[in-house]
Amino acid sequence: MDSISGLLGGFAALANPETLLYMIGGFLIGTFFGAVPGLTSVLAIALLLPLTYSLDVTTALVACASIFMAGMCSGSITATTINIPGAPSSMMTALEGYPMQQRGEGAKALGHAALGSMIGGSLGALLLMVMAPLAADVALLIRTPGKFSLIAFALIVIIISQRGSITKGMIATLFGVMIATIGIDVVQPLARFTFGTSVLVQGIDMMPLIIGTFAISELLIQADSRSSRTVDPSMIQAAKVRRRDFIPPLSEVREIGVMRYLKSAVIGYAVGILPGAGGSMAAFVSYAESMRSSKHPERYGKGNPEGIAAAECANNSMCGGAFVPMLTFGIPGDPTTAIVLGVLVINGLQPGPQFMTQQLDLIAPMFASLFVSALILIPLTLYLLGPYFLKIVSIRRDVLYSSIAIVALVGSYVATYSTFQMALALVFGVLAYFLRKQKYPTVCLLLGFVLGPSLEEYCRRALSINDGNPSIFFTSPDSLFFIALTVVFFYFMVIRKPKDRGLGTRPA
Amino acid sequence: MTSKPSSRQSTQRSSLGGEFFVPAALALITLVYLISAIQLGPPMKGGNMTASFFPIATAILMLIALACAMVHALRGKAKAPEEEAAANAESSDDAPRRRQYVGLSLGAIGVVVLTAGYLLAFDLIGYFVATFVYVLLLTGLFSGGFREKWLTKLIAAIVITVAGYLLFEVVFQVRLPTLWSQ
Repeated sequence: MDSISGLLGGFAALANPETLLYMIGGFLIGTFFGAVPGLTSVLAIALLLPLTYSLDVTTALVACASIFMAGMCSGSITATTINIPGAPSSMMTALEGYPMQQRGEGAKALGHAALGSMIGGSLGALLLMVMAPLAADVALLIRTPGKFSLIAFALIVIIISQRGSITKGMIATLFGVMIATIGIDVVQPLARFTFGTSVLVQGIDMMPLIIGTFAISELLIQADSRSSRTVDPSMIQAAKVRRRDFIPPLSEVREIGVMRYLKSAVIGYAVGILPGAGGSMAAFVSYAESMRSSKHPERYGKGNPEGIAAAECANNSMCGGAFVPMLTFGIPGDPTTAIVLGVLVINGLQPGPQFMTQQLDLIAPMFASLFVSALILIPLTLYLLGPYFLKIVSIRRDVLYSSIAIVALVGSYVATYSTFQMALALVFGVLAYFLRKQKYPTVCLLLGFVLGPSLEEYCRRALSINDGNPSIFFTSPDSLFFIALTVVFFYFMVIRKPKDRGLGTRPA
Repeated sequence: MTSKPSSRQSTQRSSLGGEFFVPAALALITLVYLISAIQLGPPMKGGNMTASFFPIATAILMLIALACAMVHALRGKAKAPEEEAAANAESSDDAPRRRQYVGLSLGAIGVVVLTAGYLLAFDLIGYFVATFVYVLLLTGLFSGGFREKWLTKLIAAIVITVAGYLLFEVVFQVRLPTLWSQ
């Protein structure tokens, strides 16, 4: 009963005008960043991170949740209208949305995308509210050796989910772990890798790493481009959409079927729980399953609303699932939840099994924000701003990236009022630029940085319990479970690789 | 006849660059890290892990992974230089390949230099002047110069500087350095 009233209290918290304003503002920012090709909702949340020093933690979490949800669905706008997915999670939507746009049904495709996002996002948020307390109960059963094996499992899955670049994923993850070891040791009061400087004794703050990896590196990459606007204005003229066409016909919704929506939402949620999978994986798996189980698989790739519904429903449902491991185990599975973890850590909060019960009043508004963003803000934003989306996202690049640079750099200054953090952001930005140019997954770098200290701490604690004998990892049942799970995942993801079935290569 | 092989060679050399030199540079950093980790003391003491164990283990794993990446880069070059060169040419920007210095394009170098200058100026001359100049130069860099729409750029620089001030100093109460507070 306590948890139900706590969750309902989260909805009541949204009635606070300031919180509501941040939720709507966050949603609009997330929509913009998700829709503009090259920008992502991760970048939006990264830019928000410095501001959380001044914001109330609940307000910051509410804004993060709405940005996350908006970023997942808004990528479908440019994916459908001009065949450029605003976010990687909308790549499958482009396969079906753009052919619909070409035959004059672009608005309807956006309507299907919004409906799928709305259903998936709402169900994902509901599942999060129901499942997170249960997962927290399970998390209480896991002891120190099990925690080590769980984090190792998470890192290994993050690495092996980098299809085609496992070595690069491993390098990026280990590099993140290495950066995290700078500063005071996690067990004893000993400074490591400070190279004689006092500024490194406290270690590397998460903020310059995030700002550098996601914002500064993006500036460097965008500096190569010569186009003056984010979206070519000539493409906007060719992609006009009318408000009245947004509502998908009931016959098509019936044809897609309730079960397809439900199945896609469950797939998305489950994929979200997995470390490193993310929205694009959720959309891909759901799209593939939808095509496999469809009565008309031959229609896929030619503008089929079923494919849009499956992909969008899954990538928005993923938002709910992604929060489960972060809140219950303190293990973020993707960059967004890693940054949300940063918001919590900045405010002196550490997620874990007890977190859901002890801090429900702080977390419940975030759940409510996910739900309300999906159920109300997605369709409302589409209806009100839909016809103007392309004009909004087609802005001058010089103004956009100059603004991002200022928010990112001054934001880095906020943490310690020192330009050292800004310099670190620049250093990490240059580093991430080189990594991104060579297709090293920077998300692995961030997750290695976030999970590295816990991995070391639990490893050392577990070994000290057993006099340095590593057999404890194989005799402790919870640890053994995660080791077995790692083996299973390794078998299915590396040895018996999943087949693409040419989905990604089909011409849009 | 003679120009073809030489152009191919130069393409090969440039495409080997990042794929090989990024892990090579990381290997150098990791070696420094490993030496520092070893200097922390023995990895085990009295049957327990010390502060150096985890960094040493991480560095060794990292070096193995980096060695694999470098070997992969070299083998990839040896196997299909033409295909890779073609793929590299295709995968880069739609524009012709831009001149690069130490793996950075001219635009990226511009951003790095401007940002480094901004960081130095931020504390010295304060938020307003430093930000205005930085934004003005960035707008020029992102739009290919100041020959066109310079007035718009000037106005954009003023608006972004003031908006940044309002956001951080007024809304979020962050004390920004000013020229008169130095």
